[in-house]
Amino acid sequence: MADGAQQDKSVQVKLVLLGEAAVGKSSLVLRFVSNDFQANKEPTIGAAFLTQKCRLEDRTLRYEIWDTAGQERFHSLAPMYYRNAQAAVVVYDVTKAASLEKAKSWVKELQRQANPNIVIALAGNKLDLVQSSSPPTPTSPSFEDDEADDATATPGETPDSPEGSTNETLRQVPTDEAQAYATEASLLFFETSAKTGEGVVELFTEIAKKIPIDHILASTQGAAGRSGAAGADGQGNRQQGINLDAAASKGKDACNC
Amino acid sequence: MSTISTHLRKIREPNKDEQLRQSFALTPAPDPVDVDSQKYKIEVNATLSLPQESEEEAYAGRLYLLPPYLAFHSLDRKSTRFTLPLCTIRRVERLNTRTGIFALSLSNWHGMKIIVQITSLRPTADLFCAHLRDALKLELQRGQMKAMKSFVKTCYSETLIPDNTPAGTEDSELVQTEDVAYLCGLGVKFKFPGDPKKLREASKLKLWATYFRTHGRNLTLLRYPQSTRLVQVGLPNRLRGEVWETLSGSLYLRFSNPGLYERILKENEGKVSTSTEEIEKDLNRSLPEYPAYQTEEGINGLRRVLTAYSFKNPELGYCQAMNILVAAILIYMSEEQAFWLLEVLCDRLLPGYYSPSMHGTLLDQRVFESLVKKCLPIIHDHFHEVDVQLSVASLPWFLSLFINSMPLIFAFRIVDCFFCMGPKVLFQVGLAILKINGEALLEIQDDGAFIHLMRDYFGSLGDSAHPNSSDPRTRAITRFQELLLVAFREFSVITEETIATERKQFRGDIIHGIESFSKRASVRNLKDLGNFTKDQAGLIYDILYKAICVVPPPASLQGGSGSPNSGQGQVAERPETRIGLATFKIFLSEIATWARDEKIVSNGFQERVDREVADHELIDRIFFFWDSSRCGALSFQDLVTGLNGVMFNDLMANIEWFFTLHDKDKDGFLTKDELLILSESMLFIFRYEVGDAYLGAVSRFMTNAFEYGDAIHETERLKTSGEAESEKPQELGNNQPYLNLATFRMVVLADEILESFFETDLTASFQLQSIPDGPLATPKSGFFGGLLSTIVTDDNVKRFHKFSDDLGKTIGQHQVVHRPSIGRIDRPIALQEPKAREPLLSSTSPRPSVSSASSSTVLATPSNSTPSLSISPPVPEKDVSPPEITPLYHAAAAAVMERTPFAIDDPQDDDDDDDDDETGEGDTHNPDDKVMDEVLYDCRRTRCG
Ligand SMILES: Nc1nc2c(ncn2[C@@H]2O[C@H](COP(=O)(O)OP(=O)(O)OP(=O)(O)O)[C@@H](O)[C@H]2O)c(=O)[nH]1
Ligand SMILES: Nc1nc2c(ncn2[C@@H]2O[C@H](COP(=O)(O)OP(=O)(O)OP(=O)(O)O)[C@@H](O)[C@H]2O)c(=O)[nH]1
Ligand SMILES: [Mg+2]
Ligand SMILES: [Mg+2]
Repeated sequence: MADGAQQDKSVQVKLVLLGEAAVGKSSLVLRFVSNDFQANKEPTIGAAFLTQKCRLEDRTLRYEIWDTAGQERFHSLAPMYYRNAQAAVVVYDVTKAASLEKAKSWVKELQRQANPNIVIALAGNKLDLVQSSSPPTPTSPSFEDDEADDATATPGETPDSPEGSTNETLRQVPTDEAQAYATEASLLFFETSAKTGEGVVELFTEIAKKIPIDHILASTQGAAGRSGAAGADGQGNRQQGINLDAAASKGKDACNC
Repeated sequence: MSTISTHLRKIREPNKDEQLRQSFALTPAPDPVDVDSQKYKIEVNATLSLPQESEEEAYAGRLYLLPPYLAFHSLDRKSTRFTLPLCTIRRVERLNTRTGIFALSLSNWHGMKIIVQITSLRPTADLFCAHLRDALKLELQRGQMKAMKSFVKTCYSETLIPDNTPAGTEDSELVQTEDVAYLCGLGVKFKFPGDPKKLREASKLKLWATYFRTHGRNLTLLRYPQSTRLVQVGLPNRLRGEVWETLSGSLYLRFSNPGLYERILKENEGKVSTSTEEIEKDLNRSLPEYPAYQTEEGINGLRRVLTAYSFKNPELGYCQAMNILVAAILIYMSEEQAFWLLEVLCDRLLPGYYSPSMHGTLLDQRVFESLVKKCLPIIHDHFHEVDVQLSVASLPWFLSLFINSMPLIFAFRIVDCFFCMGPKVLFQVGLAILKINGEALLEIQDDGAFIHLMRDYFGSLGDSAHPNSSDPRTRAITRFQELLLVAFREFSVITEETIATERKQFRGDIIHGIESFSKRASVRNLKDLGNFTKDQAGLIYDILYKAICVVPPPASLQGGSGSPNSGQGQVAERPETRIGLATFKIFLSEIATWARDEKIVSNGFQERVDREVADHELIDRIFFFWDSSRCGALSFQDLVTGLNGVMFNDLMANIEWFFTLHDKDKDGFLTKDELLILSESMLFIFRYEVGDAYLGAVSRFMTNAFEYGDAIHETERLKTSGEAESEKPQELGNNQPYLNLATFRMVVLADEILESFFETDLTASFQLQSIPDGPLATPKSGFFGGLLSTIVTDDNVKRFHKFSDDLGKTIGQHQVVHRPSIGRIDRPIALQEPKAREPLLSSTSPRPSVSSASSSTVLATPSNSTPSLSISPPVPEKDVSPPEITPLYHAAAAAVMERTPFAIDDPQDDDDDDDDDETGEGDTHNPDDKVMDEVLYDCRRTRCG
């Protein structure tokens, strides 16, 4: 579809998702790209590839998302996908302590083996499972139209909101613990739910903000070198929104081809 | 956390026999129950024909008796082929034809006749017949004919062709179609994917029925060119499972292992393992849109097949993608059928694809890339230029047989061809995909665009390939048909041999890559490197790896898997590799000079160093000392930490290390026993030092230590109780705290030799050297097999050494000298009279006169204690003897008190030289020509009515 249009001002950012099997990597991507959730998502074989645009202030980022397979034995394939990545989302499952350990080892590997400037975010997924039965209304916006308002309304530290403590027993990774680790390793940190959409947009938006866009623009000489003083992002009237692009609206979504 | 696997080292190319069996869809090695009958193995040249067909339809080829199968392939190895279980043969007749022609007519269970004309020389033909007769008899005795009768009823083709004996021979019994319960897949209940009308189910079934009537079915199927064509147009849904089974050969496995699937399930009921947990995660994620997998029935079947296989093949366990494969297969076949098909897939058709290292996947990706380079160089170059990796798209194609990439109906047709023509199909189709999309591919600039293009292409497979053509028939050709056409027409040059050759070429690289990757990961995952650099840790890893190759750690040490109360989510994905004592000895012998026995052998032809692993309590002690988690096994981290604790020490730290090593209860005191053991340890380390200096030092050490110990205890006692004098000094048991670190240190420092030992020599005796034939050495080209090949050469080297030693002995030139572990003192005489540092000692020592423990007369004069010890200029030993340090030991130990002598086991007591050559009862059976002339074997005679 709109293949021609995406060329102009957008900056391409390669982002890779890593994490233990079944923590919800593919689901996060599906939420981000199509604002959709499938209860039974097939495991990713090798890796899946999707794209999504993300508007940030006056420019557009085009995420090229590599969603990798989580099972340990696919580990040796991962370098193929994270090479040259500018961003990584390392996902764990808040209801599974072991998945955080795996996430840590991914972070370690990325920090040593991947692109040195890579922006890494830690995402504790399946937040909905540890919240009360009536979750806070999904912050996941209705993408397409909203330009101005509240997508940033609940960044980061949402979870301590009015949760019914009933389900809190399922939680195996306390927020503080993960937050402390993330701070120590200088990672962005979010708790998310691909199911409700909570935290998903924030996750990708915050990553976008941290990407040294000008740096990328400068290095890819093709993008008309608009030397941006706009680099001082994060301030002012931030506008954002996610545009569904061609990949997202396709009927045969996210097939792992 | 690191898992170290050496199984890649064991991979080897199949030998000729195995290749042959595989080409007939049989397991590489015969079933254990059939080992006996292998004596009937024989092959002849033969021509195959069917009575109802014309002369031209005869195929020259080769006929093999591979009990319990009779197999044939035409000369081109592809036109015709069969693999007949002997039990399906009812009758063998020698045909009365023109003279000089030796032809057999075989009638099979399905009432069909085939004629094989044996064109080998007459004696060979006779022998073949004799063997065939005997092998048939054996099958009958085993009751296989009976088993076969009920087995074939599980095949749908029996229902398709109800009449058992179309030829209408006297056999035609009443067919009991009623109780026939053929096995079927979920599709029968939950519908098959695709529109049966569009797929032309009915006419396809009819064509197959015709084929089955003339060419046999299930166990008796003959593979003629028509069958390949029928497969290429797509199998009918109801027949698909059975034909997959037959073409892949999993049918034979199911036939020869009745009930095994159920048994495995039963035996492992309720067991939990890493694999079962991984399977559990994916059950709801396997073709979720297919209705059956939204029901318990479908999910349970999937669970059972995957779990059963993970228990059958625990080394492989479960790999994602298998769930998708099995879910797909189960649409067309029953659980048991799927189980055996999965076995064939993992074992033979997709070898190494799903193994923990996925080496087969990686290898075939490399092969595919190489084929692209050869067949589609322009695309390859473009990809190279824009840095696009082929496997980002192609890996899932291979791993899930396109099921995950294409719409199901198309993927299954590729799977049909895959089972029919073998793994080369995946490469042919892959190449065709690239070729068809060639122009568009040359436009792409990055991985992402490549993936997009492929996804769009797969989405359009149902469209017309020539939408603008005026000819409606051309327009009717779908892009999928075009794909198959290109795959099989234009890439017919890709044969099984091509694949085999390519795999051979790249396997070494791939294994090297995987191993260095896991090495890097292991080093990276170390929680604590200590003072080691990463490179040094890498060396430790190499040495560990080598040790594991020699003595693999017992499976029981690999914790994690199967632990019952692992708590949800707590199971590590792969258990950490831990080594046992036996492996550790080899490991340490590569590092510590005293943990090995090195003999310098010269025999007049060569001078060489023979190295053997030493054995001593000291080594065991270090093993348990380093076992931080007290589980009787050491991890890579334990070894690094352990070595770190001794390899960077100064004098004081080494003294403490050695002391603590021997202080079993870690209370800061050595008992008397421990003190003796410690002395033995030193003697062990010094066992090959030249001259008496070290022996003297240890002797003095013992004397002093006991004098001190006693003196201290004397004063202690005096201090604590005035009356103590009346008590006997023996009250202190041999296993009570006796000597503390300070005193030990003092005693050590009183001796120059020991001081220098602890200052530098001990640390220096640990050496990290890169392993020349190490596991990670670049693979020698054309010489795959890494360790295996070095073992082979090692053997040859050993043989050569023995040979030259024997020669040397006969000419009196054979000399063996032990290489010292420290080697600081190379000239025995040069050593000044070993003198203790009197001033240091006497200044603090109260010098008690009596010592209960030591009567040190022998020790006091170490220089003349054992004349045999003064090996001034290395005295040749008469023969290669097991490492002995007895003179040293006896001198010292006898002097102190009687202790159980520590024996040095001969470390090399498990020579596997015994080639038990079971020259068998290979007596060739007298071919009984008389019988041959008539009926070779008539099963009907013994058939139970
Ligand atoms: N309740 C809940 N379930 C989720 C969430 N995210 C994912 N899931 C479920 O968890 C399962 C695994 O999700 P996937 O997105 O396939 O996981 P993955 O990390 O991509 O798994 P692999 O591809 O195997 O590595 C699916 O059944 C999802 O429906 C979430 O936020 N909340
Ligand atoms: N190795 C092997 N390849 C096969 C087999 N059957 C078909 N093929 C492949 O499929 C292609 C076409 O099959 P064939 O039936 O041999 O083709 P053909 O003999 O040219 O017949 P037509 O194309 O119908 O004229 C061949 O070029 C092979 O690459 C088989 O049994 N073994
Ligand atoms: Mg996934
Ligand atoms: Mg003690």
